[in-house]
Amino acid sequence: MESRTLVRRPGRGRVEAPVAREQVLLFRVGEGLYGIGIRGLWEVLAPEGITSLPTPPYQVCTALAYRGQRLPLLRLCALFGTSANSVPAGARVLLTQGHGRPLGLLVDEVLGVVDVDTRRIAPMPAQASELTPEFFRGLVSREDKVIILVNEDGLGTMAEVVQFSAT
Amino acid sequence: MGTQASHATGAGNSTDANVILFQVAGKSFAVDLTQVERIIDYREPTKTPRRPPHVDGVLEHQGRYVPVVNLRKRLGVSDMGPAHPAVLLIAGAGPDPVVGLVVDQVLRVLSLPADGVLAPPPKVFGIRAEYIRGVANAGGRPLVWLDVTKLLTTADAITLLA
Repeated sequence: MESRTLVRRPGRGRVEAPVAREQVLLFRVGEGLYGIGIRGLWEVLAPEGITSLPTPPYQVCTALAYRGQRLPLLRLCALFGTSANSVPAGARVLLTQGHGRPLGLLVDEVLGVVDVDTRRIAPMPAQASELTPEFFRGLVSREDKVIILVNEDGLGTMAEVVQFSAT
Repeated sequence: MGTQASHATGAGNSTDANVILFQVAGKSFAVDLTQVERIIDYREPTKTPRRPPHVDGVLEHQGRYVPVVNLRKRLGVSDMGPAHPAVLLIAGAGPDPVVGLVVDQVLRVLSLPADGVLAPPPKVFGIRAEYIRGVANAGGRPLVWLDVTKLLTTADAITLLA
């Protein structure tokens, strides 16, 4: 879904710097505004088929039943440290692929799709989170709001996901 | 308060040091002026996931994303602090190019004479000497000149004494 457009101003022969835009699905986890590129997104599902959790709230990886398969599902509320003892009413599962593995991401709410300028994506500052930087593609602003872009490939390398996929 | 800290004012020379004087929890602190890129008003930062307890989030400033370290929290002060604190943009003090340091109130730029800065005792206001470049007198009150790089690159707990 990434598009690169050469901008030519009327009446001028000079070609301006290319504009790189990408569509991003916005979602909420806790109070945080997050995004994921829709290129790698397969489906957005209602959170049915999640294996009932005899799991503590802090457990990050659980199981998702999907078309006869059992896929790893990351509960982003647990990963990001926001409190969630139950699945919110507006929750959705983002089905994607992380590092070559099918992967579900459980989010609190899907907010829509927006265009972002990929040239303006900046890395997450090292001191801003104790999570590994590979989980984040970076930060980008839109309408005075900072969107935290997750990196599905980085999430796919989580030990819990690798372990789940191996079983 | 101890011996003269000639090292504190710049590798043993006798020049004055310019610092930014500010307050946190009623106490006076300073950081080296050369490390302060800018002072900006506090805005509510964007909360980042799994941030350290003393980090409020990130701020966008002129196209850059700056982690925001709350000095009250870094010093173990549990009170909320003022409604409109200030943010010092500190350059070259840690893994990120710029860090926003939230302080209660910025007072002024101060020139510290080399012979007016003393080496700190083992602890000042409960802060260990390793976090302090020197101690001075500012208008009859003790002024703690912080080693902000050390403060921002270690995670050891600090408890500011009342």
